[in-house]
Amino acid sequence: MERSFRQEVELLRLGEGETFHGEGILAVTKALLQSGVSYVGGYQGAPVSHVMDVLNDARGILDELGVHVETNANEAGAAAMLGASINYPMRGAVAFKSTVGTNVASDALSNLASAGVKGGALLVLGEDYGEGSSIIQERSHAFAMKSQMWLLDPRPNLPKIVQAVEQGFELSEASSTPVMLQLRIRACHVTGSFRTRANRAPAISRRQVMANPDFDYARICLPPATYAQEKHKVEVRWPAAVRFIREHRLNEVFPGDMADTGILCQGGLYNAVIRALQQLGLADAFGTSRVPIYCMNVTYPLLPEEIIDFCAGKKRVLVVEEGQPAYIEDAILAALRRAGANDVVVAGKGALPMAGEYTGEVVLAGIAGFLDSGRALEPIRSLKAKALDLLGAPAPARPPGFCVGCPERPVFSAMKVAERTTGPVHVSADIGCHLFSSLPPFNIGNTVLGYGLGLASNSAVNPVFGGRTVSVMGDGGFWHNGLTTSIANAAFNKDDGILVIMKNGYSSATGTQELPSSPQHSESKAADMAIERALQGVGVGWVKTVDNYRVGEVAGVLKEAMTTGYKGLKVIIAEGECQLERQRKLRPVVAEKLAKGERHVRVKYGVDEDTCTGDHSCIRLSGCPTLTVKDNPDPLRRDPVATVIEGCVGCGLCGENAHAAVLCPSFYRAEVVQNPGLLDKALGRLRSLFK
Amino acid sequence: MTLPERPITILIAALGGEGGGVMADWLIEAAAQCAYPAQSTSIPGVAQRTGATTYYLEIFPARESELGGRSPVLSLTPSPGSVDIMVASELVEAGRAMQNGYVNPERTTLVASTHRIYATVEKMQMGDGRFDSDRVVAAGKQLAKRAVMFDMRRLAQENGTVINAVLFGAMAGSGDLPLPRDACEQAIRGGGRGAEASLRGFSAGFEIAAGAQAAPQPPAPVQRASELREIMDLGEGRLRDYQGEAYAALYRERMQPFLEGDQKLAAETARHLALWMSYEDIVRVADLKTRASRFERVRREVGAKDGEPVVVIDFLKPGVEEFASLLPPSMGRALTGWAQKNGRLDAYNVGMHLKTSGVFGYLLVRSLAWLKPWRPYCFRYQEEQRLIGRWLARVQEAAARSVPLALEVTECARLIKGYGETHRRGKANFLAIFEALVENPASSDAAEQAKAIRKAREAALADPEGKALGGALGKPVTWLKPVRSGG
Repeated sequence: MERSFRQEVELLRLGEGETFHGEGILAVTKALLQSGVSYVGGYQGAPVSHVMDVLNDARGILDELGVHVETNANEAGAAAMLGASINYPMRGAVAFKSTVGTNVASDALSNLASAGVKGGALLVLGEDYGEGSSIIQERSHAFAMKSQMWLLDPRPNLPKIVQAVEQGFELSEASSTPVMLQLRIRACHVTGSFRTRANRAPAISRRQVMANPDFDYARICLPPATYAQEKHKVEVRWPAAVRFIREHRLNEVFPGDMADTGILCQGGLYNAVIRALQQLGLADAFGTSRVPIYCMNVTYPLLPEEIIDFCAGKKRVLVVEEGQPAYIEDAILAALRRAGANDVVVAGKGALPMAGEYTGEVVLAGIAGFLDSGRALEPIRSLKAKALDLLGAPAPARPPGFCVGCPERPVFSAMKVAERTTGPVHVSADIGCHLFSSLPPFNIGNTVLGYGLGLASNSAVNPVFGGRTVSVMGDGGFWHNGLTTSIANAAFNKDDGILVIMKNGYSSATGTQELPSSPQHSESKAADMAIERALQGVGVGWVKTVDNYRVGEVAGVLKEAMTTGYKGLKVIIAEGECQLERQRKLRPVVAEKLAKGERHVRVKYGVDEDTCTGDHSCIRLSGCPTLTVKDNPDPLRRDPVATVIEGCVGCGLCGENAHAAVLCPSFYRAEVVQNPGLLDKALGRLRSLFK
Repeated sequence: MTLPERPITILIAALGGEGGGVMADWLIEAAAQCAYPAQSTSIPGVAQRTGATTYYLEIFPARESELGGRSPVLSLTPSPGSVDIMVASELVEAGRAMQNGYVNPERTTLVASTHRIYATVEKMQMGDGRFDSDRVVAAGKQLAKRAVMFDMRRLAQENGTVINAVLFGAMAGSGDLPLPRDACEQAIRGGGRGAEASLRGFSAGFEIAAGAQAAPQPPAPVQRASELREIMDLGEGRLRDYQGEAYAALYRERMQPFLEGDQKLAAETARHLALWMSYEDIVRVADLKTRASRFERVRREVGAKDGEPVVVIDFLKPGVEEFASLLPPSMGRALTGWAQKNGRLDAYNVGMHLKTSGVFGYLLVRSLAWLKPWRPYCFRYQEEQRLIGRWLARVQEAAARSVPLALEVTECARLIKGYGETHRRGKANFLAIFEALVENPASSDAAEQAKAIRKAREAALADPEGKALGGALGKPVTWLKPVRSGG
């Protein structure tokens, strides 16, 4: 991991009564230390990667406090780590992306929640839902309900988020139950400030070690203990949680003069509700609202008494609950019905959409409709209509894609080339940057089933095709889950398919974190754990390593894997260092060389505009951001010609493609000799004689 | 004193890697210097990988001390119609913002760079799939309360900095940002490394937005020949250069029948004919690649400074077709026929990395260009002339029936371009359309026929793999035999 978080780390040192300015997720990290955690774990993934990134750079502070930090193998490992709080009164927290991470973690979470905890256990969940999300659209809420873990969804400002962390641990301890803190993407990245408190060294830690292990069969997840544990959940832990939430006023009521109306919202959506009311002239800039609001900073469990009190005497209320199913709305309806409070009309899904992110626009539309002021939306509609009319056509989509010079792009170019001879092939894709292959211009990848599961998801596909099929997996997915669930399984079942492992050296899509097989490691990590040796270990007999940028060779090896007589899993390790990381390392080195006046050869690729006929087949085989088009300089031609713009890192894919796919002779490689030596100059002069 | 009723809302639309996050930090820092409550948020995620992404900020333009301990509730998502300053780091992103209702004539200042970074779907088409930039600029001027639009990327490059600095300057210069210039510049200085360059970019953007400086003029668009006379002259010149005076004469002669007819048709035909007759064979490519002007252009394109030698390496991979194209017709025909039948067309290509800037490489490539006199006796030459003849005859026939139809037939020449397999595909598309729609039309109605041809041609250009074209022709187009073993 080349990026340094030095500045962020300094923020973790802030003491009593100082002011923290920064991002939400960093505030959470600081709050963990203020809460006296003994250990922190997690698995990288937007929007919570920062927790681990920063802590990994904050070893100094953590050693002083004796806090143990571990980047777990995956989310299941992270959740399992919380097991330390089952027997021992120490606080721990783990962070990962949800719901994908929570899915992976749910085995451990069920056991954890059943056994219950002595020390506070907190899960920081980056709720990756709505715009900018890269995953399946589901709710973490369901996990809270099925395992009975409490779910916090605080108002999205730093003081409230920090408070949620601190009270989350107290709630967890008061009710012997793990607590989930749900933070939406924008809340993780929201900037703000809060008054800090001094970091607390934990009572049990690497510095304050224990002597006597605790044994209590009641905490083992085996019958009959499990029966008792379930009863304990509903008879003891739940009531304790409800008591704590009520007594500490975790949920908030904001009064308003429109007494017969009310809004019940998730804490995380409070700001959106207020903004909508402001736009309808029903609230001021400081959140003073004419409509009373019940803000649920704890969305599981709900407190029926509070809900009934809030709804008392109201004609109609609106439940603002993001995502589906509408667990909260249904629970509210049930609570009111049980209490016989039947004269209040409850609106929710219907007034608001069942699915999708509750953006400012969506909430405005919902509340306007609920308050019968739908006309407030007219200007927006006409604005959009007018814009589309003026533009003539919708703006072209611009999804994320491979970076300039990305080492994974050439592998898919090679697949396209190979496809010409092998014909189209089913490709089981996986999670990671390489999934961008499913977008234009490649459109490669038929299914994606989860992190490290590409090959496993191909198990029943391969046998039912005449030819062999291909799976793709990143080195991140390999260590997350792929080695066991996909590769060992495929080897064991004598799968005859082909697996391409993208070995770019880092967990790139999540911010280039270290992996066991990363080229270099920080002191806190073991030296290189080679993918090759792991494959050998599970008995994969056919392994070929290719240099990604040699498109022709990669295509050749792919074709060989398709046709070889070898029966069994064929693994192609596609090697090429993540270009983001590579450039981070290269830039300073080159800058220094040039500053010193040393000779440096700058490579850039280009296209001859007078031999390019503007058919763009090179672009259909690359999609590199720096390989683009420009007006055709030929007055007789109309279609734009290809061109390589500034930013080209000289990875060489253009030329390789031109060769491998026999595209066209227009590409050239230019080597600009900076700070040339005498020989360079002499040669330059000699050459210039000939033209 | 009276407090503002609502915060100033700023939405930044940027592409991954353009420093949108840094700009948001600058704004927050500058607001902090004024002691204004402010908040920024973003949804980077994987969008940081070259995709479109947004940053959203709200600044409450009143000092915290004046708020009596209260703090404003700031929103994390923008609302259409309620954005005060819409910033776009690229033109189509500005278009996207308008489309989403973020540019409101009563409220929004639009600060956008007019340069284009084409989306993959725009640039991957066989023809021209680019979004209409002029419409976006026009729409911006109409929809925004105030539009500050100019090529900020160019300004950034000229000042050796990143576009975010220029955008930030343009925002401040627009006068609608509630933050004084010195606070903004202080915020940039606090950023440390690269601050000096950023400040240069900031000031450049500021001056233009404030009207103190004129915006850089966009480069004049390439002149497109459209008049018959003009095209004929260009065409003759091109062909004289291509194969001498006699060849230019052949061009004139071929154009004769059209000169008196419809001028637009004549012009388009002249244009396509000139391009087709100067088809890119190995001799032509070798010639173009070894001209002094070419090496000069390369130096320009790669931004080589004076005194910096530039080594140019060309990627050539001649194969069966290139070799056959130079043989006498009978031999060439026999060879390609055999190769096609046995799927050997791409089997024997020789990949060469030629240092064309070097003595040996230069002489080798140049020697190919010296084959020019031999060209008229080659297989490829004869093939091209035959097909050109066939095409011209059909255009002429069509012209007798209806000019619009003839125009569509002429336009079909546009399908044949590229090299190797791309050229083969294009030619096959051309022939498929010719056989199905030009020479054996389903309907005798000229308008119908013209429509069908246009539809098929557009399908072929939009999707070179020909699936859509197959649909347009009402039959699968099958011309590519699977190659047994490829290069």
